[in-house]
Amino acid sequence: MPAIEIQRQMLPMFPSPNQGARFYNPELPETEPFVPGHRTCAGCGPSIQYRMTSKASGDNTILVGPTGCMYVANSSYLCTPYNVPWAHTQIGSSGSFTAGVAAAYEAMIRKGKWKGAFPNIICEAGDGSASDIGLASISGALYRNHDCLIICYDNEQYANTGIQASSRTPYGGMTTFSPPGPTIPEAKKLFPKDLARMMAAGHPHCYVATASVGYPIDLMNKVRKGLNHKGASYLMVYTPCQKGFVYETPRSIDLGRLVVECGLYPIWEWNPEKREFDYSFRPQNMRPVSEYLKLQGRFGHLHAEHIATLQKFANEQWRMMKVELPAALIRAADAKNLVDMASAEAAAAIAETV
Amino acid sequence: MATAVAKKKKVRINGCVAAAQAAKYADVDVITAYPIRPYTATMMALAQMVANGELDAEYIVADSEHSQLSIAHGASSSGARVFTGSSGVGVQFAYELYSPISGTRMPVQMMIADRTLDPPGDFGSEHTDALSARDMGWLMGWSCDAQEAFDNHLLGFRIGEDRRVLLPQMVCQDGFFVSHITTDVELPDTGQVQEFLPPYTHPYPLDPRRPVSHGPQIMPEQGPPLQLERARAMEGAVPVIEQAHDEFARIFGRRYDPWLEEFMTDGADVVFFVQGAHAVTARYAIRHMRERGAKVGLVRLKTIRPYPTDRVKDALSKFKVVGVIETNLGLGSVSSGGVLYAEACAALYESPTRPLVVSFMAGMGGEAIVLKEFYWMTNKMLDAQKRGAIEKRTHWVGFEE
Repeated sequence: MPAIEIQRQMLPMFPSPNQGARFYNPELPETEPFVPGHRTCAGCGPSIQYRMTSKASGDNTILVGPTGCMYVANSSYLCTPYNVPWAHTQIGSSGSFTAGVAAAYEAMIRKGKWKGAFPNIICEAGDGSASDIGLASISGALYRNHDCLIICYDNEQYANTGIQASSRTPYGGMTTFSPPGPTIPEAKKLFPKDLARMMAAGHPHCYVATASVGYPIDLMNKVRKGLNHKGASYLMVYTPCQKGFVYETPRSIDLGRLVVECGLYPIWEWNPEKREFDYSFRPQNMRPVSEYLKLQGRFGHLHAEHIATLQKFANEQWRMMKVELPAALIRAADAKNLVDMASAEAAAAIAETV
Repeated sequence: MATAVAKKKKVRINGCVAAAQAAKYADVDVITAYPIRPYTATMMALAQMVANGELDAEYIVADSEHSQLSIAHGASSSGARVFTGSSGVGVQFAYELYSPISGTRMPVQMMIADRTLDPPGDFGSEHTDALSARDMGWLMGWSCDAQEAFDNHLLGFRIGEDRRVLLPQMVCQDGFFVSHITTDVELPDTGQVQEFLPPYTHPYPLDPRRPVSHGPQIMPEQGPPLQLERARAMEGAVPVIEQAHDEFARIFGRRYDPWLEEFMTDGADVVFFVQGAHAVTARYAIRHMRERGAKVGLVRLKTIRPYPTDRVKDALSKFKVVGVIETNLGLGSVSSGGVLYAEACAALYESPTRPLVVSFMAGMGGEAIVLKEFYWMTNKMLDAQKRGAIEKRTHWVGFEE
């Protein structure tokens, strides 16, 4: 029997520019593969991302959900909010389970055992899975170039287990595994793993991009670009967690913009055809990191020197994107020009709420 | 491309290649490989078959055994027939996946060619690698030669994919003694396999046209029904296994008792209770000892999960002494030897005529169990019969007078 040719889906881009509509866009598909009624927190960044992603992907989609808060909070009591097929997998199996789904469809369509266009296969891995325990499995899936999209919904911590530090937790971020104290006043001492860049550098044949829930149209277009790319794609998306970041719940989208505007979350694309980074995305404003930090309890303990360290880090990211730094941001990298976030007592009180 | 298989023929292959041949005849869709001796030769053979166009399958070189089994899980969940395998510490590296795969009722097939764990980490066969996963909801049994290995792989797919069962299978063979010993194997006609093994269809695959959710998080009180269902699937496999063996005999002309092989047990007073390849040497030794007047026989356990408790009870109750040959390590276990002793004793507990049971730690590190060791073990059993009591529960063969 001759092999049957596989039909791939090709999704159109949304016309709005990157900055796009903030809360409402008439172009959005009506389909809701991720329906309301789940148990995620008010203002949950990962679930906002989940809804946008699955809307962009549509109904011919299979979702893979490694263990994480998008597993536990979404699929409680034997109920799930998915209108498309979804499977849980182990936290270390994000890339490998997804690869299995993609391989199965390659073989089944080719051998005539399943008829229809190749489904959009999306893995929704938290940053714990994506940057730590499942890193090798994702690298394997990207290297082997299975036709799938692997998303790291990056809330910069293990949120599901009660806020523990992951390789993506920023310098200075307070978690239950990186609390501030007299000996370690800055809390997390390590800088985050540059995960998306690792994936682009190590798997240059893949479409790789970063995005933020603060820019929904940009996020959805990147989802579609990743799905349209024949082979493996990788997307790392900033998804704030009000429980772990300790902020007012209506401000999730604000944080999603501020983190980009202050240079802590560079938005870029890796173009696998040209083999180069595209840094053309520009936020409307540039701000000092303190404007982003001050909204979040997890940074409430930071001293001026720690904020300066984060500003230096942000300035390096701007330079990496070939952005000329305004004098104000250079001044903000000097601790003399900064003040402490709060007293140690005030920060400790916030730490108790995490 | 369709699977191209010639008519029924006899070939000379080892256990590893026999397993690969079975996967080819089963027309598997997805194969996941990761190298570790001795099972590697199975994946080498399959890689060549795919390269030659003899088998149309996705052949995936995984980044670890954990990934191997996760890929297998994902592919099986999507509705593909999946073949994977491992040995020794590789079996252990994938351990996390065994319960999720059986828990979601995905009939993944895994070939295991046994290897010692670390230490000693040598290439020899010890059953500890697979036996450590014996309670994870996988159908499990040992083959004692290449022909039986080929047959057990086809039987495994047929039984595991049956809608009444839907459980994964560990089809085990001893490393080296089966995996790398070349013997005559009869390969069937493709038509025979098609008659025996219908195409795989899972009732609830990940299919965008019929959306389902696999493996959601649940509350504690929702756990027991799921566990009970999995336990019932294992129990429910018993008649399916028997039926499949009958069908196998009808179509292929080779009849196996699915649970136990008895060898020269007529009139026997003492018997060996063994799994896998050492039974081949044991048969030879038993013939010798019978000629010298020792009333010794052999009972080989063919399927350990589901465990044929009543069959073991009825079979072993006929004798005065049972000598369990372990070839596995159960440190601090009931007999302070291997884990098979407890399985034999538990089955015998309800018997009104319990034999004496003694455990032999033999074949450890993958060493061959040589004839004189079988004679030594037989004498230990005959001594126990004479005295009406065992000397001790566990003998480390080769370390005692």
